[in-house]
This record gives sequence, C-alpha cells and structure tokens, in this order.
Amino acid sequence: MTSAARRLAGPAGAAALAAAVVGYVGAVDPNQAGHYPTCPFLFLTGFYCPGCGSLRAIHAMAHLDLLTAVDRNPLTVAAVPLLLWTWLRWTRRAARGRARTWAAPPWAVWSLLGVILGFWVLRNVPGLEWLAP
Amino acid sequence: MSTDGPYPPSAPEPEPGTPSWPAGGQQQPPYGAPAPYGQPGPAQPPAYQQPGGYPAGYPAQPVYGPPAGPPPDNYLVWAILSTVLCCLPLGIVSIVYAAQVNDKWLRGDVAGATESARKAKQFATWSAITYGVLLVLVVIFYIGIFAVALGTGASTAP
Repeated sequence: MTSAARRLAGPAGAAALAAAVVGYVGAVDPNQAGHYPTCPFLFLTGFYCPGCGSLRAIHAMAHLDLLTAVDRNPLTVAAVPLLLWTWLRWTRRAARGRARTWAAPPWAVWSLLGVILGFWVLRNVPGLEWLAP
Repeated sequence: MSTDGPYPPSAPEPEPGTPSWPAGGQQQPPYGAPAPYGQPGPAQPPAYQQPGGYPAGYPAQPVYGPPAGPPPDNYLVWAILSTVLCCLPLGIVSIVYAAQVNDKWLRGDVAGATESARKAKQFATWSAITYGVLLVLVVIFYIGIFAVALGTGASTAP
C-alpha cells in the first residue's frame, strides 16, 4: 500500500504540476502584453519557433476554445492527447510496479522529428500565415 | 516511452542468425542477410535488395530482436516539452537522440542505446538550463527598458 503510494507519487506530482500550469495560464491571459516574456527564439531571431503560440493555445484550451487553440499552435493541441496517453500508461505501470518493457517504434519518433522541423519552417513561410501563431 | 507492449519481459532471446524483428504490424524491414558475411551461404538473397533503403553492407552483425529487459529511457517527453514549450533547438537535438535510443535498442545494440540515452538526457537538461538562463536575460532586458523609460521620463520632466 505504502509502496504503491510512493510509486504513484511521480504521476500524481506531474498531474498536479500540469494542473497548476494550466490553471495559471488560463487565469493570466498570455494575449495581453507584459504577462509573460517573449519566446527567446522569436526574441533573438525574429522567426517563429515550433512552440510559439503555445501559451495562448493552452490559455484557449483552458477556456475550452479548441478552434482558437489550433489557430495559435496546432502542435500544442496535438501534444495533449499524446502526453495524456503517456501519462496514463506511466500511471498504470507505476500502480502495478512494473518496469517499462515497450519502446516506441523508431519510425514514429523520426516522423515526430520531421513534423516538428517541417512545422518550424512552414510557419515562417509567407503565405502560410495560418500556421503562424 | 511507455509501458506494456508486445515484448513481455520473459521473451526468449532469439537465436543468433534468426532474422527477427518486432511483430505487431510495424513496417520494419529485415535488414542484413541471415548468414554472416564472408561465408558462402547457399542460395542466400543478396543483402542490398532490402526494401528499407539501408545501404548495402550496413549490418555487420546478425539481426537480433530487442533485448530482454526494460529499454533505456529516451527522455522523449522532456524533448517534446522543451520543444513545444521552450522553443529551443536543443530540444530538437534531444528528439534525435531519443529516436536513436529506440532505433538502436530494437536492433539489439544495447551499448549504443545506452549511450544515446545518456546524450538525450544531457541535451534535455541543457535545453532546460539554457531556457532558464534566456528567461532571466529577457527579464533583465525588460527591467532595463523599464528603467531607461523611467530615466528618460524623469530627465524630460520639468
């Protein structure tokens, strides 16, 4: 019982941290200037990075406005089910006290890399402003 | 990245020379001829006609399945978080290493997978540290602008 509680401390802590972040970003509007610092990459280079708009996307998702969230950063919205799924499996593994025996297929991880790099380039291309935050 | 999948911990080690790759519909091509190079294998198909596009002569060892036991952590979640939330090229590098971890692990290259896992962790940590430093610099910059604005405001005030 105690050991199971100790094993579940990691997933519980991650859930609490995520809830705190979503709660804060939902309450403190990133659409207003001065609430958060600018993205360092955008600040230094003037180009959007794959994460630009993620704060505004999280804010929109906290207010259940999925369309605005996709408009700000589709990758952030797509990451939510992926992270939830990973968290659920992590929690189940921790509850059962088992070691991880599964590794994601390499092609999936390489594809993820390709999607992120492509998104990074395309959202800076003139004419594809719908990908920009 | 996650738990229980098609590889039970008690999976038997495949025989050397047995071409085995993950089941479950993964499009992983069998690379390498089953027979070692330099031996006249009778009626073996040539190794360079594999559909996966691996260069000829690439596998120097016979094909093993994934090793028994838990695979090394590839820190992919941290890589994704640092890429999506922290917008840093270092996150991209850690995704590359994360992919290498699983790639090498499923080929049976335990040492290579462990080494890539070490680097993935290293780059995830570095991206977090760099992000913190940049955040502090930006905050200092804003405070500086604020101070300058205050200063000019004070000097032009009557």
